[in-house]
Amino acid sequence: MASIFNWLLDWLRSLFFKKEMELSLVGLQNAGKTSLVTVLSTGAFHEDMIPTVGFNMRKVTKGAVTIKLWDLGGQPRFRSMWERYCRGVQAIVFVADAADHDNLDAARQELHDLLQKPSLAGIPLLVLGNKSDLPGALSTNDLIDRLELKALRDREVCVYVISCKNQHNVNITLEWLTKHAKS
Amino acid sequence: MASTAQDPSAPLLRGDKKEEDRDEETEFSPFFGIEKGLVLQEARIFNSPQIDARKCQQVITKLLYLLCQGETFSKKEASEVFFSVTKLFQNKDSNLRRMVYLVIKDVCPSADEVIIITSSLMKDMNSKTDLYRANAIRVLCSILDSQLLGQIERYLKQGIVDKSPVVSSAVLVSAVHLLEGNSEIVKRWTNEIQEAQHNVHSMVQFHAVALLHALRANDRLAVSKLVSDLIKSSVRSPLAQCLLVRYVAQVIAESTAAPTGETRPFYDFLESCLRHKAEMVIFEAARAICNMRNVTLRELLPAVTVLQLFLSSSKPVLRFAAVRNINKVAQTNPGAVVNCNLDMEALISDSNRSIATLAITTLLKTSTESSVERLLKQMTSFMSDIPDEFKIVVVEAIRTLCLKFPQKYRALMNFLSNVLREDGGFDFKKAIVDSVLILIREIPEAKEPGLAHLCEFIEDCEFTYLSTQILHLLGLEGPKTKEPAKYIRYIYNRIILENATVRAAAVSSLAKYGALVPELRPRISILLQRALHDNDDEVRDRATLYLRELGGLNGSTPSQSDYIDLNWTLPNKNLETCLRQYLENGATQPFDLAIVPAAAAEKPRAETGKSKGASALANGPAPAAVKQEAEVTNHAAQLQAMPQFAMYGDLFKTCAAQQLTEEETEYSVLCIKHIFDGHVVFQFDCTNTVPEQVLEDVNVIVDLAEAEEFEEETLIPLPRMAYGAVGQCWAAFSKPAGALTTGRFVNTMRSRVKEIDPSTGEEEEEGYEDDYQLEDVEVAAADYIKAEAVSNFRNAWEAADAESEMTDDYGLGVKDSLQDAVEAVTAILGLKPCEGSDAVPPNARSHTVLLSGLLPGNVQVLVRMMFGIDMSRNVAMKLVVRSDGPETSEAIHQIIQNA
Repeated sequence: MASIFNWLLDWLRSLFFKKEMELSLVGLQNAGKTSLVTVLSTGAFHEDMIPTVGFNMRKVTKGAVTIKLWDLGGQPRFRSMWERYCRGVQAIVFVADAADHDNLDAARQELHDLLQKPSLAGIPLLVLGNKSDLPGALSTNDLIDRLELKALRDREVCVYVISCKNQHNVNITLEWLTKHAKS
Repeated sequence: MASTAQDPSAPLLRGDKKEEDRDEETEFSPFFGIEKGLVLQEARIFNSPQIDARKCQQVITKLLYLLCQGETFSKKEASEVFFSVTKLFQNKDSNLRRMVYLVIKDVCPSADEVIIITSSLMKDMNSKTDLYRANAIRVLCSILDSQLLGQIERYLKQGIVDKSPVVSSAVLVSAVHLLEGNSEIVKRWTNEIQEAQHNVHSMVQFHAVALLHALRANDRLAVSKLVSDLIKSSVRSPLAQCLLVRYVAQVIAESTAAPTGETRPFYDFLESCLRHKAEMVIFEAARAICNMRNVTLRELLPAVTVLQLFLSSSKPVLRFAAVRNINKVAQTNPGAVVNCNLDMEALISDSNRSIATLAITTLLKTSTESSVERLLKQMTSFMSDIPDEFKIVVVEAIRTLCLKFPQKYRALMNFLSNVLREDGGFDFKKAIVDSVLILIREIPEAKEPGLAHLCEFIEDCEFTYLSTQILHLLGLEGPKTKEPAKYIRYIYNRIILENATVRAAAVSSLAKYGALVPELRPRISILLQRALHDNDDEVRDRATLYLRELGGLNGSTPSQSDYIDLNWTLPNKNLETCLRQYLENGATQPFDLAIVPAAAAEKPRAETGKSKGASALANGPAPAAVKQEAEVTNHAAQLQAMPQFAMYGDLFKTCAAQQLTEEETEYSVLCIKHIFDGHVVFQFDCTNTVPEQVLEDVNVIVDLAEAEEFEEETLIPLPRMAYGAVGQCWAAFSKPAGALTTGRFVNTMRSRVKEIDPSTGEEEEEGYEDDYQLEDVEVAAADYIKAEAVSNFRNAWEAADAESEMTDDYGLGVKDSLQDAVEAVTAILGLKPCEGSDAVPPNARSHTVLLSGLLPGNVQVLVRMMFGIDMSRNVAMKLVVRSDGPETSEAIHQIIQNA
């Protein structure tokens, strides 16, 4: 009963306080960006995903917030174009494979390169360590060290360790996102 | 096309309005004054989070307009536009989406950027909306690489047999573009394409047929097979049928001509198309029949009959198409279209002037002698209301007609003079005057009336160029007529009334009468004296000069001799050099014309070398040949005049001049080889290009070490070679008479150089000996061959001694085409192609060329060359020679072997 009431409240609120936000998902290939988008929009996880060639755009409505997601391809040939789709968004989401220790250095490099662009100054950053269900996945603190997130100044930075497969921490991610939506 | 079929709503209407605007009132075009910078600024709205679909569409339209106008975007601008456009991709507005597809194709960002939309396009390719599917396929196919093609091949294959015609057309058209580079993959879709060919939608069928043909375009046999299959399967769409007719025409053009009397392959099909219900198919078939090579009258007849029906159609387009085709046929087969004359006469008054002009020119081509006058009468009424360009066409047609029926010159000339009196621009008047000039030249009887018309014309002519041209002609032709005096008045009027240029021309013209007609000379002198007070220098100078030549200056009685030559015989260049020297030396005494060397140091014209190339052009050969002829007679006369060479007999051949020095060195030396029966004479044309020196006793020393069979006979030195003047020295050699003696001659120019002091202009006394190395001259066997055509090669061949025949095979290596090989070998041999056999039919795999020519002693040489080309463009040749004996034939083979 309470849930129905809550839903009704949400719906009523969404009618009056509609919020919209735009965010970009970046990260190396096979980090789980497209999986995250699917989980966010449909709530279900699909094992086999084909690599994204270019970008996908999804609109996800959660409560009063409509989120426009630019899910960008992670292959090297697309990385130079990330910046164009990160301009003017409310938040940049960087997805890293927390279990893939070999590629974390490359991920760090790409992340810092991207954030150095003057056009992206001040945009909040959310770093997600995906695949926490796999053995050997890094913890939040390890991730902060490996990606040298402490070195990032002048912007809000937040780190979560999630698992799209098990839907672990997906909800707090969503919460963080909706918090940053502008009205 | 796909999108219009799908969605004929708002944007299409706007498109129509746009076109109208551009036609009618350009200044109110919605695109008037669009600037690139401004539009690029506006394009930023694509990035805004709230997309205004309508506004974005307008901006994209402006971008597309700029691109269509030829505006280019820099790489940075293009990628900026491209990336902002990609943000519109997910918009729900279908019209905006369509514009997005269009602009992506047109902006064409660099390949590494464009891949960013691949995923979005692939999603659209499987969308439920036909419009998205079709457009996404088109864009995707224009950006993909072969790897991606492999990934999406499955979808494209399905797309071909999609139930939406828009989608399947999109795939078929894209496949035509993909063929370039990815033909292997497209070939795998043959089954689907063949299915599409039976699609009920005509556009799909059309595209499928085009693609099927494109797949086989490189294979003649396959095309031929495809065409026969398609004919059997009866293509329904008129567009596809038109395409099929074109392919059939192509097959017919490429197939070897069938023996006469037999029907051509596929002719029946073309004829059946003439009864098709769609007009465009009928027209296409008629056009194909009319354009067939060597088309016979019987084959033409059905085509001309349907075209004749079109002539009286109510649609102007059909009338125009028909009359244009008939016009074309009339150029080659005037007899075939005579039946249409009645219908075409009705078209003369057609409100569409293009139709009327085509009709009239066609009529002029096909008319018989008896109908000329009637036609002319009809045309007079019609001439005044057509624009100048059409009038010119008519005038040209009249000219050809007049040359065809010289007896009708009076009526035609009258017509021309009537239109000459009408208003018209320069080009029109010039066309008429040119026509009259040609008629005067070609038809002797037409000369006097023609001159009279021209005289009348210049009485009221506003174009200086035409007036001077006519005055010059009057000067040339007038004195030779029966009554030269009657032209004097017209010419003298010009001296009184016209501008300075025309007055000067009139003075020259008058003077010619004075020179050529002794009876008129006193009167002309009086008229010329009046021109002495003209206020223009040129007119006065001319009058003074001519009066002096005519001997009428200062009131003395004009000379009584019958003929005075007014022509200026001194070469201008020599005169200029002498005058320059005269001025440098201080100009103390009066200048004496006699010191100017009159021997026309004729500069070997560059045309000689070019004439061979020019003769290949359709209109080139006649003048080029005439020029060569003239040059040969010129040389012959010059050589005959020299006592040293007079006993060598008749000049057999003069070869093209060869430069023996590099461009822009101190001296320029040209060598011209003159071939006699038993001798070879080298003529060295020497020019000194250094102003500070003079050469004396110029001799060309020829070393015969590599030309042992030649013997030196005479050397004629050039006594003095001043700056800028051309002089000749000569070397003559004897050789065994009749033999094709070859050799290489090493030349040195030996002379005494005297420096000229630039301050005083004086030469030094002594000077010094100088040797100057020249390039070698080679006498090859081809130099002895004179191109000479025989009228009937077969007879000449049969008559030639079969004993003398020599045959050999040669491989010529890889050539671009048979025509190239034929031209190359013909040029090496220097023989004349007979019976037009040097033109290779298009796409021929083998060809026979007949050549003939003469050797010294007027020995006839006949050559039959068989060429063959294989798939890898290797050319083989079989050469058969007949002449007066096996030795001579062997010598011809030697030429090829040495080449």
